[in-house]
Amino acid sequence: MRKRQLTAAIMALACGALTACGGGGGTAPAENQGGTTQTTAAGSNDNSGSGQTAETAAPASGEKQVLSVTTWDNESSPQFQAVIDAYEEQNPNVEIKIIDTSADEYNNSLGISLSAAQPDPDVIWVKDMGSMLQMADKEQLMPIDDFIAKDNFDMSIYKGAAEQLMYNGKAYALPYRNDWYVLYYNKDLFDAAGVEYPSNDMTWEEYYDLAAKVTSGEGSSKVYGTHNHTWQALVTNWAVQDGKHTVVEKDYSFMKSWYEEALALQDAGYIQDYSTLKTANIHYSSVFKNQQCAMMPMGTWFIATMMQSQQDGETDFNWGVATIPHPADTEAGYTVGALTPIAISAFTDQPDLAWDFVKFASSEEAAEILAEQGVFTGIPSETALQTIASAELFPEGESNVEALSYVHYSFDRPLDPQIEEIRTVLNEVHEMIMIHSYSVDEGIQELTERVAEIKGWN
Amino acid sequence: MNTKRKVTKIILYVLLTCLAVTMLVPFYWMVISSLKLNKDVFSIPMRWWPETMHPENYSVIWKKLPLVTFFKNTAKLTIITTIVQLCTSCFAAYGFTKCKFVGRDMIFLMYVTTIAVPWQVYMVPQFILVSKMGLNDTHVGLILMQAFSAFGVFLIRQFYISIPDELCEAARIDGLNEFGIFRKIVFPLGKPAMATLTIFTFTNVWNDFMGPLIYLKTKELKTVQLGIRMFISQYGADYAWIMAASVCSLIPIVIVFLSCQRFFVEGVAASGIKG
Amino acid sequence: MSSGKNSFLTSKQRRKIRNNMTGYAFILPNLIGYTIFVFIPVIFSFVLSVMSWDGSQRPMTFVGIENFVDIFGDKIFRGTLVHTVSYALMTVVPTLILALLLAVLLNNKIKGVAIFRTSFYFPYIASIVAVGAVWNMLFQPDFGPVNEILKFIGIKNPPRWVVDKDWAMVAVSIVSVWKYMGYYMIVYLAALQGISNSLYEAASIDGANGWQKLVYITVPMLTPTTFFVLIMLTIQCFKVFDLVYVMTGGGPGNATKTLVNYIYEKAFTSWEFGPASAGAIVLFAIVLAITLVQFSGEKKWSKDL
Repeated sequence: MRKRQLTAAIMALACGALTACGGGGGTAPAENQGGTTQTTAAGSNDNSGSGQTAETAAPASGEKQVLSVTTWDNESSPQFQAVIDAYEEQNPNVEIKIIDTSADEYNNSLGISLSAAQPDPDVIWVKDMGSMLQMADKEQLMPIDDFIAKDNFDMSIYKGAAEQLMYNGKAYALPYRNDWYVLYYNKDLFDAAGVEYPSNDMTWEEYYDLAAKVTSGEGSSKVYGTHNHTWQALVTNWAVQDGKHTVVEKDYSFMKSWYEEALALQDAGYIQDYSTLKTANIHYSSVFKNQQCAMMPMGTWFIATMMQSQQDGETDFNWGVATIPHPADTEAGYTVGALTPIAISAFTDQPDLAWDFVKFASSEEAAEILAEQGVFTGIPSETALQTIASAELFPEGESNVEALSYVHYSFDRPLDPQIEEIRTVLNEVHEMIMIHSYSVDEGIQELTERVAEIKGWN
Repeated sequence: MNTKRKVTKIILYVLLTCLAVTMLVPFYWMVISSLKLNKDVFSIPMRWWPETMHPENYSVIWKKLPLVTFFKNTAKLTIITTIVQLCTSCFAAYGFTKCKFVGRDMIFLMYVTTIAVPWQVYMVPQFILVSKMGLNDTHVGLILMQAFSAFGVFLIRQFYISIPDELCEAARIDGLNEFGIFRKIVFPLGKPAMATLTIFTFTNVWNDFMGPLIYLKTKELKTVQLGIRMFISQYGADYAWIMAASVCSLIPIVIVFLSCQRFFVEGVAASGIKG
Repeated sequence: MSSGKNSFLTSKQRRKIRNNMTGYAFILPNLIGYTIFVFIPVIFSFVLSVMSWDGSQRPMTFVGIENFVDIFGDKIFRGTLVHTVSYALMTVVPTLILALLLAVLLNNKIKGVAIFRTSFYFPYIASIVAVGAVWNMLFQPDFGPVNEILKFIGIKNPPRWVVDKDWAMVAVSIVSVWKYMGYYMIVYLAALQGISNSLYEAASIDGANGWQKLVYITVPMLTPTTFFVLIMLTIQCFKVFDLVYVMTGGGPGNATKTLVNYIYEKAFTSWEFGPASAGAIVLFAIVLAITLVQFSGEKKWSKDL
């Protein structure tokens, strides 16, 4: 029952994303006030200007209001800073204070601040939907239904994504970003190996062969064919890619072949050893940027990271994007993804200002700004796609643009109230399998048992 | 006899030198790696001397990492915590040794029984408490939670006990009030114990990792330790940069250590013998 | 003070009150801070250990000993006890022996003692994050210097150190010994200076050689210090967190997860303050037991000497 609803919702979302060209047109009421309005991207006909101003009625006295927001890895990606800068520019009386943490410690440290029930942070970028449910469960997020009703806020611009973020019938967040998995590759390394670039229609088997072909070198100058970061998602995602399963199941045997393949890649030395990455705490971006791997499956958020890195002169090799490989029994263009919500802390001392920021950050105007930086937002639109594809530092070539569309989109995890607990189990078992502490069968058996226990299926 | 002694001495020197070199090799490796290119850090065969120097690693990390802010924060936390700790400990130690008041022994017993409770046992409730006071993610919170220790009171008290009471009595007869006695007589005499406590607190706070890890979230407030840690988790495969950042993080403590070495050694010795 | 005539208190009582006030004035700054930031949390951690609470605004509920039953039923928690004990076993004895050895070597009248002392003590001063980072690279399994050296001296398959679940704790212990032995060396050095020279002179007259002097005079005379170092080291081992956190993060798998790592994760990652505090109470019980051993030991030594 539940599952069917979910699949339907996913399909709706996916279709929305695909048919989002032109049409729609934001009907969000423009509440531009006086001189502080901004110009919205002229000439784009699906943007009717959802201009924002601080509705907290800008005290002319010039005293600055401080709004604190939480971000992760803010240095290496423009995804937050671009929006923050734009907001500050439009609202000179507001100063945004950024609380930045590294991605892997983000949820942890956010939890610490929230458990203290302090007025800071005001606005929270939620790293994944699972932790949003958890925070909503603990009443750490402020429901935004009242704001939506008061402002007559139009949720249809998100093409269903905002409804995805509802929990127990309440809205807690707006979709800020929408990301899905693609395959990045280093053109220079492929050229050097004399191997053809990855295509947009590859099965996973073809991808494994390709990884073998581009692996070369020894010692510290070794180039690995591809790179699996330590997340459990980089194995389990492909197991749910066909949309037939989710990561919450009564029987996990469908994951078996995917774990066997991941281990085979690792044992053959085509990807870096899991335990090395884990203990040395190696960030995937530094592996790709240092040209230690020729390919890397990663979310679309990495496009912005790479573009910024090229711009800063940190890297100067040629790279490309391809569609994520697909299972043999599905067509090309099946992918897995997730939304990044933006929410308001339940303990904020300036809810109106926080809502204003949230509204701005997930507006069409912000979507334009973000698209220029290579970020896909919760508002799916053809223009955004074109903006990203035509960005100066986006890799040239039609195939790269093609890689940005998909035909089917599954969430990397279902919106299950116990998803975080289940993910802890998934992570633990993933680690044990990848370091050969468990055989694949043992791991799957433990997964099945422990998840059943959490869900009370026994 | 003489030649035998010479031989023993040479063996001793060789042995000590070998040991010292072994102890310091990691630091040497840290420095040379920080001057290599990222990709050459693990070159095979190993190079104990970089072919070409790349001091630009330091300017790279200087740009990527607000080291000055981190140092300022760490210095601020260390200095304030140490001062608060010293002052309150000396006061309390004086109260416990040279004043008589109701409940003195009871209160002291409370200190003694909790001295052996490791911080890790009560760090969770302490964090909850500090957070409820609205001091999470502030330097004040971190300072307060570290500034009051039974160990400090105990250490200074042991020293003050050895100061004869007759000295205080004489001063009292001369018309000094209690604070005067403390300031003019006991406090100056207690300097060696204070040096020990200073060194102890200083090293502990400067090198503390878990406290700031739990309490500090905002980047502008972070300490060197946390900052470097953050850098490492972001640039995990940029080996040379990590080493350059590590070298930078060690420089201030090396300077402090080398210039106050005597106190460090005496401090440890004193706190050790106390038992 | 001269206006005492009208008071209904005798001058003796007044002095008593004044003494009390002065006494409290001196201890109060520390006492208030200590009560709020240490004493109350200590009590509170006992309370929390029998409660269920996730740190949110919802109230905590009393669950009795359920938290203790839960953690002892938890494979991971039992694992952390094993790892912590094995870390202690691998760390305490080598640190003790090396610290003693270094101290004895340095206790000779030679030039440059200060330089050697500094180099042995230096790792103790160095920050744990930097130290962890450099050792992680030294232990790099495929091309790190440690394994390069091992291969050079003919070991074909050197251990994979921090990435191998059987060797990771060994690696952490090695770093721990390296880092902390300098500190205990100084403790020993101070104790060595307390041994009267006449004992050695008497032994020399009896024709004892250096080794005999070490075994029959130095080591026995240092027994109280050794006992002290042993206790301090053991307690320190049970409190280990930083080094493990920066070197392995508790992995691979859970192979190096220690008791304090467990408390930290339960409290600040899963927000189960109850089990976290139950774990903390277990830590307290262990440290208390060690401290009691220390007390009885101290009594014995003070009787002997």
